[in-house]
Amino acid sequence: MAGAAAWNPLRASTFLPFTWDLALPADDRKAFVDWMVANRLEDAKFLGQRWDRLQVMVRNKDVWEDSVKRAFLMTPRDEFVPTRNRSHAYDNNFLDIGYGVTISGPHLVGHMTSSLGVARGAKVLEIGTGSGYQSAVLAHLTDQVFSIEIIKPLAERTRGIYDGLISRGYDEFKAVTTKNADGYYGWEEHAPFDRIIVTCGIDHVPPPLLQQLKPQGAMLVPVGPPGAQRVLRIVKEQTADGGARISRSDIYNGRIVPFVPFKKLEGDKISGTHNT
Amino acid sequence: MRATHESGDPGFGTPLYVAVGLLAGAIIALQITVMRIFAAGNWAHFGSFIVSVAMLGVGISSTVMCVRQPWFERHWRGVAGAALIAFGPVAAGANLGAQQVPFNAMFLIADPQQKWRLAANFGLYLLPFVTGSLFLGSVFLKARERFARVYFADLVGCGVCGLGLLGGMFLYTPEQLIQIPLFMWVAAGACWALAMRSTRLALAVAAAGALAFAIHLPLADAFDLPRLAVSDYKGVSYARRFPDSKQVYERATPFGYLEVYSSSYLHFAPGLSDNAALDLPEMPSNAYLGLYVDGDGPNGIIRELPAAQTKYFDYLPMALPFLLKDQPDVFVVQFGGGLSAAAALRKGARSVTVADSNPAVLSAFRHDAGLRGFTGDILHKPRLKTVAQDGRIHLSHGAGRYDVVDLSLADSAGLSSPGGFAIAEKYNYTREAMQVYMRGLKEGGILSVTLWNKEEPPKSVLRLYATLVEAARAMGEPDVRRCFFVTSSYLSTATVLYQRGGFGDEAIAKLQARTAALSFDEIYAPGAKYEVDPLETILAAYRAQLFGAVPKTLPHPPLPNAADTEDQASPVEDAAPAEEEAVPEDGAGADGPTPKTMPSIALARHAWQALMDGSWPALAAGYPFDLHPLSNEKPYFAAYLRPRDLPAVLDRLDLLQDEWGYLLLWATLFIACASGLLLIALPAIFGWRSLFARCPGKAGTLLYFACLGMGYIMVEVALISHFTLALSNATVSAAVLITGMLVFSGIGSLVAERHLDRARTRLPFVFATIAILLVAYGVGIDRALDWVGTLPYAWRLPCCFALIFPPAFLMGMPMPTGMTWLARLGKAPLFLWAWGVNGCMSVVGAAAVPILATSFGVGAALVAAGALYLLAVPGLFALLRPLPGGAAAVA
Repeated sequence: MAGAAAWNPLRASTFLPFTWDLALPADDRKAFVDWMVANRLEDAKFLGQRWDRLQVMVRNKDVWEDSVKRAFLMTPRDEFVPTRNRSHAYDNNFLDIGYGVTISGPHLVGHMTSSLGVARGAKVLEIGTGSGYQSAVLAHLTDQVFSIEIIKPLAERTRGIYDGLISRGYDEFKAVTTKNADGYYGWEEHAPFDRIIVTCGIDHVPPPLLQQLKPQGAMLVPVGPPGAQRVLRIVKEQTADGGARISRSDIYNGRIVPFVPFKKLEGDKISGTHNT
Repeated sequence: MRATHESGDPGFGTPLYVAVGLLAGAIIALQITVMRIFAAGNWAHFGSFIVSVAMLGVGISSTVMCVRQPWFERHWRGVAGAALIAFGPVAAGANLGAQQVPFNAMFLIADPQQKWRLAANFGLYLLPFVTGSLFLGSVFLKARERFARVYFADLVGCGVCGLGLLGGMFLYTPEQLIQIPLFMWVAAGACWALAMRSTRLALAVAAAGALAFAIHLPLADAFDLPRLAVSDYKGVSYARRFPDSKQVYERATPFGYLEVYSSSYLHFAPGLSDNAALDLPEMPSNAYLGLYVDGDGPNGIIRELPAAQTKYFDYLPMALPFLLKDQPDVFVVQFGGGLSAAAALRKGARSVTVADSNPAVLSAFRHDAGLRGFTGDILHKPRLKTVAQDGRIHLSHGAGRYDVVDLSLADSAGLSSPGGFAIAEKYNYTREAMQVYMRGLKEGGILSVTLWNKEEPPKSVLRLYATLVEAARAMGEPDVRRCFFVTSSYLSTATVLYQRGGFGDEAIAKLQARTAALSFDEIYAPGAKYEVDPLETILAAYRAQLFGAVPKTLPHPPLPNAADTEDQASPVEDAAPAEEEAVPEDGAGADGPTPKTMPSIALARHAWQALMDGSWPALAAGYPFDLHPLSNEKPYFAAYLRPRDLPAVLDRLDLLQDEWGYLLLWATLFIACASGLLLIALPAIFGWRSLFARCPGKAGTLLYFACLGMGYIMVEVALISHFTLALSNATVSAAVLITGMLVFSGIGSLVAERHLDRARTRLPFVFATIAILLVAYGVGIDRALDWVGTLPYAWRLPCCFALIFPPAFLMGMPMPTGMTWLARLGKAPLFLWAWGVNGCMSVVGAAAVPILATSFGVGAALVAAGALYLLAVPGLFALLRPLPGGAAAVA
């Protein structure tokens, strides 16, 4: 199980479970790292990298809501990355997680999460659990996250990561309900959803998902290959006559977007000029 | 051929020449095999690297042999024999080894291991080519005074074995294809043993053969080693992982390795309107099979749907023409998975004629019981007629007129995978092709072209728009503005409808209403006006994002629109952020309004306006990407970045992720130049004053062989691209060209032997004729090939060979003439170096062609090659300068 090696049973009693009003220091790197080490027993090295990455994401306008910033800081991305790539967990790169699936880069996850506009209590459906990281971030924004993965061994592996983290005290991940199924058909039992986030490509928007989206609900769908994806934003609008209309836009509003930087993060700064 | 000892050494006779031909053939067959392996397992484009790897093998071998020439000359027989025996086991071992370290280009930046995997692949596949080149180099060195004859064997062997491999593709899947070059190698070994009259050699060849096949077959099985590691990211890998996945069809062909899978997890509906979800009572389930060619796909094969689900087709973009046409005669340019054909049949077409240039696809649908059952035997429907050739070529025959011509998402995989198909020719989408389709329409007939529209900023669709309008103007339409209706779905598809003679008001109103009902965006309708941001604002924003600081004309970051904050407020408390919260601390973007329409939609509307009012050149010039219309000269959708802009974006290549295939062309050219020059320079550095000291005309000799190396490969690669016009299939075109060029050049080399003594006077005329022919081909061969394409296939092949013959025959003469004269003049040290220079510059030439073709057109590569052949003339005179003290005079 991913992350098991980092677990220190001697410190288990000090783990501070997630609550909506946790006083997470968000103004100072050292205070954040110290607080997380003391209360969440996480690795100071990864925490530092997480903080640094968030600062770049904020400057790069990939995250603009305090709730999403907090969700990013609370989510141990390193736990969702395969061991062989863990040292790159906070690089702005998508990474291979096996089965032909990638974990999206933190900037894209941040931008998608911010664009999705999830409020506490909203019912969110994710199609394509993958690494589990996107749902993990969402679990810090709402307590109703439903996630479907089509690849059975991947679904089982990711469920194992969640269960392992829950057993270590990450109670917030109890909000993530997962199943192995074909996400094309959505999750009828839990429909309708306030937000739907699709994390796998397809040549059309699955009609069942549109049907399971609440009126005024929003859906994000990535289009294109990893590394050059646009993210389609679909809103199901209610028309005056009681019907529905689907509107499409792009979460970057047509901007040319650097998805995979050629420059590396140096400390908390990106070398170069175009990505800062 | 005489079985005498022409070089004064036992063994030089027919068996040896056959051995040379077979091993040279095995080398070229191995190159094509590795290309097929890359295509099926990973990404086809990396297959082209193998040409560079092979020529690098020549470069390395010649460099080493040049520096240690006397030793190699003394031990030529042992070196050649050892290299020949080693070739098979090394090839089999290198291939198996490379498959254990699969490279994935997608992670080249993200995963530091990938560059080592690429290096490992490069290094492993280099080994057999170095080994093979050592054999050829040793024989060339020994036979240098009869070089024309051994060169003839080399070229003809390559040509014939290349054709043999093509035939072998019907028998072997890509993972087993390596057995064919191994068979050729064993045959070469047997001939070599015969030539050397050595039983021990024969036994050694047999043992090495057993070892090579053992590595490929039982050893791989025993250790469970994959012979072909298919990337997890190939389309077929996903299909194989679906729980209920089942392979229902498989066939190996030169046109690709075809597989069809069934699974309830396969879903297709390219361009399906989002409104289908709201309007249709029932969506078809298990409606598709997935068709994969070389692991790429899927292309959806649609099941015969029950009558109750006919309305499903109304929500697909290819159904739009049927709003205006009742019981039309329909022509589908590319059958693909049959979606357009099924839609046409279901929408009441009186007749449907479908074409496809891939005979393997049509054969599958015609003959496989499973596919026939699934599709309701679509190709045998009474109303459907099949044409087993390229739809563009069929229509250009003038065979029939149609009410609707459909070109929907043909080659869809290519256009939906940006970056990976930088040099793929899309002849079905050129201006000339569009004119053919337009001429194939009855009066009032409709051409419907649907393309993926997944780029932001838009590129492909803008090129398509410009191409179609140019074609309509060339058709002499009296009022082009009435002839088009354009609709798109954001980040999905774009559809252009062209009506011969122009749309009437009623038709326009119908199309507009349907576009709105499908929630598509109307891009152009005759007479319609759209309220969009000013063009200069949009263009300036794109330019600034790519070349300069991010302007504030486009929101940055995207502000939540009104729907986020008010109308769209979720019933859940605090559902959406307040607008103030969304504005970043520095306020960037706060002054930019959320656009009324997406910039790409606004730009597309401006583009149509510009195309109609004549201001298109100004718009295209102001756009940061090249928007030239597609023509037979430049049939490329990709390569949007202008070469002159490359320096400006070198520090921000991350903005051009969808252009990495094109950027890779430049990287390949750069690496080819660097490695080629290094390999050329090494012997020069070590030997300029020692090895070559007594050889006058060194620089001219270098020029001569550099020009020949670059020129020859440029002609070959450019003609492969051109001949696809007539032969409709890149694989067939490559086979015809490789075989034709090499065999005819081999004949040329043999003829050249008779004129060796008059090289000084005759060869300049040969060069001049080559140059004239190449310039003429560069300017006019596409018209000739267009005409050839209208002939029956059985006639096309001899016509193509006839076109290849004149330049190929003449181009076979200069290389052996030059090499033989180096030997005759006693310039032995230059002999191997010249061979290496030729090989190295071939790498550069092969890399230069796609750059020239995408920048200036395919014909430009031929013209450039012609210039290179002229440039070789002064090199010839330098080469023929005798050694101080005199040698044979050249007439």
